[in-house]
Amino acid sequence: MKPIAFRGLVLFTAALAICAEPARAQALIEGRVELPKALHTPVMNKRYGIVSYGGVLTPYPPVAVVYLEGAFPPAAAPATARMVQKDLNFSPILLPVQAGTRVEFPNLDDTYHNIFSYSPAKRFDLGRYRSDERPIPSVLFDTAGMVTVRCDIHEHMRAIILVLDTPHFVLSDVDGRYRLEGLPSGRFVLKVWLDSRTTLSRPVDLEAASTLHADFP
Amino acid sequence: MMLVVSVVAVSTLIFTQRSLAERERLNFLREFQVELSALHDLQEFRDAALAERCRILSRKPRIHAALEDGALDLLYPSARDELHSIMEVGEAAGREPGATGALFYRFLDAKGRVITPHDPRGVGTLSAEEESQLGLSALPDRPQTGYVVRDRGTPREAVDEVIAMPIISSENGETISAIVLGFHPPALGGPGSDSGFLGGIWLGGRLDMGEFPRAAREDLAGQLTRAIGASDGDRGGFEFRATGMPFLLFFKRLNPGSAYPPAFEVSVRPLAEALSRQRLLIWEFVGAGSLALAGAFFASQFLSRRLSLPVEKLAVDSVENREHWQRAEAALESTSQELQRSARFSADASHQLKTPVTVLRAGLEELLAGEDLGTEAREEVSRLVHQTFRLASVIEDLLLLSRMDAGRLKIQFTRLDLSLLLERLRDDLTTVADPHPLQVESDIPPSLWVTGENRFAELIVQNLLENARKYNRQGGRIRIAARSEGEWAVVTVGNTGPAIPRESQAHIFERFHRGAVGENVPGHGIGLNLARELARLHGGDLRLARSDAEWTEFELRLRLAGEGAPQSP
Repeated sequence: MKPIAFRGLVLFTAALAICAEPARAQALIEGRVELPKALHTPVMNKRYGIVSYGGVLTPYPPVAVVYLEGAFPPAAAPATARMVQKDLNFSPILLPVQAGTRVEFPNLDDTYHNIFSYSPAKRFDLGRYRSDERPIPSVLFDTAGMVTVRCDIHEHMRAIILVLDTPHFVLSDVDGRYRLEGLPSGRFVLKVWLDSRTTLSRPVDLEAASTLHADFP
Repeated sequence: MMLVVSVVAVSTLIFTQRSLAERERLNFLREFQVELSALHDLQEFRDAALAERCRILSRKPRIHAALEDGALDLLYPSARDELHSIMEVGEAAGREPGATGALFYRFLDAKGRVITPHDPRGVGTLSAEEESQLGLSALPDRPQTGYVVRDRGTPREAVDEVIAMPIISSENGETISAIVLGFHPPALGGPGSDSGFLGGIWLGGRLDMGEFPRAAREDLAGQLTRAIGASDGDRGGFEFRATGMPFLLFFKRLNPGSAYPPAFEVSVRPLAEALSRQRLLIWEFVGAGSLALAGAFFASQFLSRRLSLPVEKLAVDSVENREHWQRAEAALESTSQELQRSARFSADASHQLKTPVTVLRAGLEELLAGEDLGTEAREEVSRLVHQTFRLASVIEDLLLLSRMDAGRLKIQFTRLDLSLLLERLRDDLTTVADPHPLQVESDIPPSLWVTGENRFAELIVQNLLENARKYNRQGGRIRIAARSEGEWAVVTVGNTGPAIPRESQAHIFERFHRGAVGENVPGHGIGLNLARELARLHGGDLRLARSDAEWTEFELRLRLAGEGAPQSP
């Protein structure tokens, strides 16, 4: 995943954690996820992309989204995220957001793109637009689920937006290491999204100001 | 003799009758094949068009999105634009047999099951039963042809042809879905077709064959099912009777190797007409045969009487003729012996003559070299020396002639430069010390190449030039010209001087002929004969082109050299 996007995401996550939770002793979960071996590489852009094979969508290079599932209040302040189109590819290709986030889709290429999705969690079609058109199209994702974002003009362009009901989520690094900070104490389920058909889960019990180490498997 | 003829005639009749029946079958089969192959071409064309559509479909992100992102309800709407035009043609064409528009289409999911559309408008209405016939056990990776029984609510069932085209992802080559399109069944035979046979389709034990009476059809279906089961390949045929009449039936699998259940094209031809025609033909044969037999009988009697007479006469003649032949053979034998003898003689003779000539010349030259001779004597001896040279050349010519006569002269064909040769000989002409110099003109193109042997070609032209000089008048003119004409090189040597008399013109090429005009002119008369023989040996010819009071012209033809002949040394 691109360093800029990664950093942005981390900052965003941190900000969310701070705003959502009152300042008190935060719990921490960290660990390592065994990432599946990449069996197929993207055909067009060899460096990164969402690979589709046998009806399964997998990010390349493999990466996981680790999140804490529980009864969390919805986001108080409206949040935005961006998924750009650059070099005929999406960036980031995997974007976890909390439900209620508005995602912008700026076109940074000098060609048209037509971003759409047929996913049940959110169906939308932004129509064709160029990089200089304003306002920049955006969509509000209010239902949890996996949204496959595609471009009607460029068939290989794919991205996944994971709409989650929790503010506590993080992308692992390419080795599978992750770190979830600012977590409340209580009983939750720790989940790991690996690809469109695989989500691992494990119940966790968090105590205030504790660090939990959880590896998958 | 009569017995033989009758036996032959009867056996011919029997064979002909049998071969007729066989020929009927073959004709029928051939027509059947031709129709099927025409149909096959049409299907191939249609399949290619469909494959192209599927390729386009496979590249559409919306199709991928519908199939992969859990949006099957959006599959048909996304494909409608692309497939709309195929469907439109189908509806507009109506129920015409052989129309190539699609009647309906359905998508298959990853397991080969039919995806039922939410809205059947625009994609063709099918009952659940009909739709289930479209599914396969797995997605095909190649187009598959199948047939479905349509329940149209009429007493007659109908069979539609379906073709399942895989939709292959252009990204990774995997088959992500398939689209099954339905078409009108192929139309073969049936009422209105002028080939005279009925067509139908057998599918799963059921025979759908339009105009055939229903009861007979069911019975036939049973027979056909058994025949299909018994046949080892995709085709077969048998004869059967229905409604008291004989029929010939052929069946052929319409979708060999398909993942769909097998369907067979059935073609039925009534034999009654063919059989009656056959019977008529037999009667005609019998009638013609007996007539021929009777005729032959009478003719043979008549002919044999006539033929025997000349045969007897021939027997008598042959005795006389034998004597004739024997005499002719003897004459031939003696001629060939004479020829060989004369060839040997000329060879021996010229050899014998050469040596004394050399001696003679040497002796005369020595005389000349001596100092005792007076001026008159010296002149005389010079003239004698000159004559020995001429004698030597006569002997050479005779030798050459003898070799040609015996057929022993072989030309070494090489590529030689005729232009160079002509120019050299022309130049030689002008150097001859002549009391009355002649004008020499020439028109020789730069590089005229012919095939032949250099010294013989020279001999021919020298001969012509010598004649042109000898038979010229004082202060006259000689003209040498050459040109190429087609595959020939044509050399003309012309001279002023008295004409060759008409009577002599036919004889000038004969051996030892001396023209009436040439008594005073020294020479020996074998020149033209030799020249022509040589020219002909070269594959060319020499002839008198013209001779009148003004001008005499000879024309020599030699073959032009093509590329590749060996160069003359």
